[in-house]
Amino acid sequence: MRLQSRSRPLGAVIVLVLVIIYLLPAGVLGSDVGNCLLCHKYPGLSRVDENAEMRLLYVNEEIFNNSVHGKVKCEGCHTDITKIPHEPVKPVDCLAVCHIIEPAEEQKFSHKSVEAFLEDSVHGKKDKNGNEKKYSEDMPTCKDCHDNPMFRPLAFVKKVRAGVAEDALGRCRVCHKKEEFIYRFYNHITTRLHKSRSPLNIAQSCARCHDDPKLVARHNLNTRAGFSYGDTYHGKAAKMLDETVPDCLDCHVPKGQSVHQMHGNDDPRATTHPENRGQICSSTDCHPGASVQFANYQVHSEFSKEKSPAVYWFTTFFYILTGGTLLPLMVIMFLDLLRRLFPNATFRRRK
Amino acid sequence: MKCLLTKLYIIAFMGLVAFFGILIWNLTFAHVIHEYHSRESDVPLHVNGEADKKEPRQQTFDKMILESEDRVKHYLGYRVLEEQRIEGHFHHIGFDVGPDNRSYCRSCHGDMPHDSVKDIRAFLNMHAFFVGCQTCHVKFKEDEITNVYKWYDRKTGEIVESPVNGAPPGTYNAKIIPFIRENGKIVRIDSEEKIQFANDYKAAEPDLSEGQKSKAKKLIHKIISKTPVTCEECHTKQKPTLPLAELGYPKTRIDSITSTEVVGMIKNYTQFHMPKMLNPGEATPPVSPPQQPEAPSVQH
Repeated sequence: MRLQSRSRPLGAVIVLVLVIIYLLPAGVLGSDVGNCLLCHKYPGLSRVDENAEMRLLYVNEEIFNNSVHGKVKCEGCHTDITKIPHEPVKPVDCLAVCHIIEPAEEQKFSHKSVEAFLEDSVHGKKDKNGNEKKYSEDMPTCKDCHDNPMFRPLAFVKKVRAGVAEDALGRCRVCHKKEEFIYRFYNHITTRLHKSRSPLNIAQSCARCHDDPKLVARHNLNTRAGFSYGDTYHGKAAKMLDETVPDCLDCHVPKGQSVHQMHGNDDPRATTHPENRGQICSSTDCHPGASVQFANYQVHSEFSKEKSPAVYWFTTFFYILTGGTLLPLMVIMFLDLLRRLFPNATFRRRK
Repeated sequence: MKCLLTKLYIIAFMGLVAFFGILIWNLTFAHVIHEYHSRESDVPLHVNGEADKKEPRQQTFDKMILESEDRVKHYLGYRVLEEQRIEGHFHHIGFDVGPDNRSYCRSCHGDMPHDSVKDIRAFLNMHAFFVGCQTCHVKFKEDEITNVYKWYDRKTGEIVESPVNGAPPGTYNAKIIPFIRENGKIVRIDSEEKIQFANDYKAAEPDLSEGQKSKAKKLIHKIISKTPVTCEECHTKQKPTLPLAELGYPKTRIDSITSTEVVGMIKNYTQFHMPKMLNPGEATPPVSPPQQPEAPSVQH
C-alpha cells in the first residue's frame, strides 16, 4: 500500500519531467551533456600556463550554440577528457573522427581530408619532395585561420528578423516538425550559400601572417598582402563591409575547390600562375570578358617608391594634383567669406 | 537681425570650408608626408627579418605581451560580434569586461593572480574575476568583523547595486569587497589611504633601497592572512562566509552555488587533486583511488 502511494506521484513527476524536456527549446539542451558549463560558463576561468601563454577556458554558450559546432559535444573534440574534474587537456586534434554522422554517406564526420589539401598547398610544411620546408614552423595550423565558425544565415526577402526568412522556415515546417532541426538546417544551408566570412574578416585573417614584416621577409614574399589589398578598390570596399567584392580566397583558390588548395605563383595549378592569371578576373561573377592584361595589373603593389616606383610616382602625382587644386580653392573660398564677414576691414591705416 | 543671420551663415560656411580643407590636406599631402616618414622608419622587408632596431629583450616583451592581444569584429550579417582575440583560442568570448581600476592588488599581481596550485589556479582566477582579493585573503579580527559585503564597479570603483540578477553567471562588471569596522565606523577595506600608499610605492619603487622595498611590501601585505578563506566556507548551506542573499543572489543561484554538484566538485578536488591545498601544514592523507563521476561516454 505504501509502495503504491509513493509510486503514483513519482510516475507523474517522471512523465512531467519528460514532457518538460521534450518541450524545452533546443538551445537549452545544447551539446553540454557532460555539464562542462558548470565551470566553463565563467569568463574568468583562466590561467597563465608554464609557457607564459594565456589560457582562457571560458565557453560562451549562446555563441557556441549558434556556431557550426553547436551540436558537437565537448568530448567530441576534447577526446582525452574521461572524468570530471579533469586533468589539463591535450590540444584538440581537428582531424579526429567526430561522432557526428555525415548524412550523404552516413559515415562518421572528419576534417581529415583538409590535411591532404593543406599539405599539398603552398601552406604545407613539406615541399613536393617530402622534405621539410625552411621556416616550416611559420606555416599555419587550423586555429591560425579558424576560430569556431559562426553561422551567417541569409534572408533575401521579407526580412522580419535579420538573417531569418520566416517564409522559408514555414516551408520547412510543412514536412519537418522539429523546430531545432529546421533552424539549424536553415542556418547551415544559407550560410553555405555565400561567403562564410566577410571579405574583411578573410583579409584580416590572412593579414595576420602576410602583413607580418618578419614573416614576409623570411619567406621572400614581395608584398604585405593584406596591407596592399587594403589599398585596392576591392580592399576599400571590403572595409566598408561590401560582401560582393573579392577577398583573398576568390583570387587565390581555384573556383569550386577547397579553400585549402592554394598554391604558389610558380605552381602551374595556382590560379595566380602566369598561365592561369587571366581567368581570375574574367570569371562570369566578376569581370566577364576581361583580358589577360587586365588580370596582370599589379594587384598587390604597395605605395612604395622602392617596390612599385611607377605606381608610387603616379599616385603621388595625383595626390599633389588633387591637393594642389582643391586646397587653394578652399583657401580662396575662405578668404572670400572672410571679406564678406568683414567687408571694410583693412590692414592699412586709415588716414 | 537679417545681418546677424547672414554673419552666422558666413561663419558656418567658413567652418565647413575649413573642415573640407583639413580633410583634403589629410587625404593628399598629409598622406604623402606620412608615407615618407613611415618608409623612413619602416622595417625593410628584404633584410631577412634582422633589421629590427629594438633591443632583443624589448622585442621579446613586445611580442609576448603587447602583440599577444588583438581585437576582432565578426560580421555575421544579423549581428556584429566584437571581442578580444586571443591567439590560439578557438571559442568565442563575445563580450568585454573592463579592467578592475579600483584594485591596488591587480597593479602588481595582474588579472590572473593565482598560479601556484596548478590544479585549481583557473578556478581561483575565475573567482578573482568577480570577488575582490581581500574577500578571501583577509581574515578579520573579532572587532573588525561586520559581515557587510558589497559590489563595486570595476571601472569607477564606486559601490553599486548587485549586478547578479538576470546576468549570466560571472559576467558582472562588478566585484565583491568586504567592509570592516575601523574606529567605530564601517568602511570598505580597500580604503583610499591603502590605495594611495600602494600607488606611492609603485611610483617610488625604482628609487627605493632593497630594505625600503621590503618594508613597503610588508606594510601593504600586512592585512593578508596566512590562510585564505577556503572554498567550503562559501560553498556551504551552513552560514556561508559571503551573505549571498544580501549580495543580490536569487535563491536559485544560491541553491546552485551551494548545491551538491558544486560542493561535490570541490570535495573531489580537495580530496584527490590537492589534499594539502586547503589544509596547509597538515600531513598529506594517503591518496585512495579517485572515485570521481565519469564523464558521459561519447555516443556514436
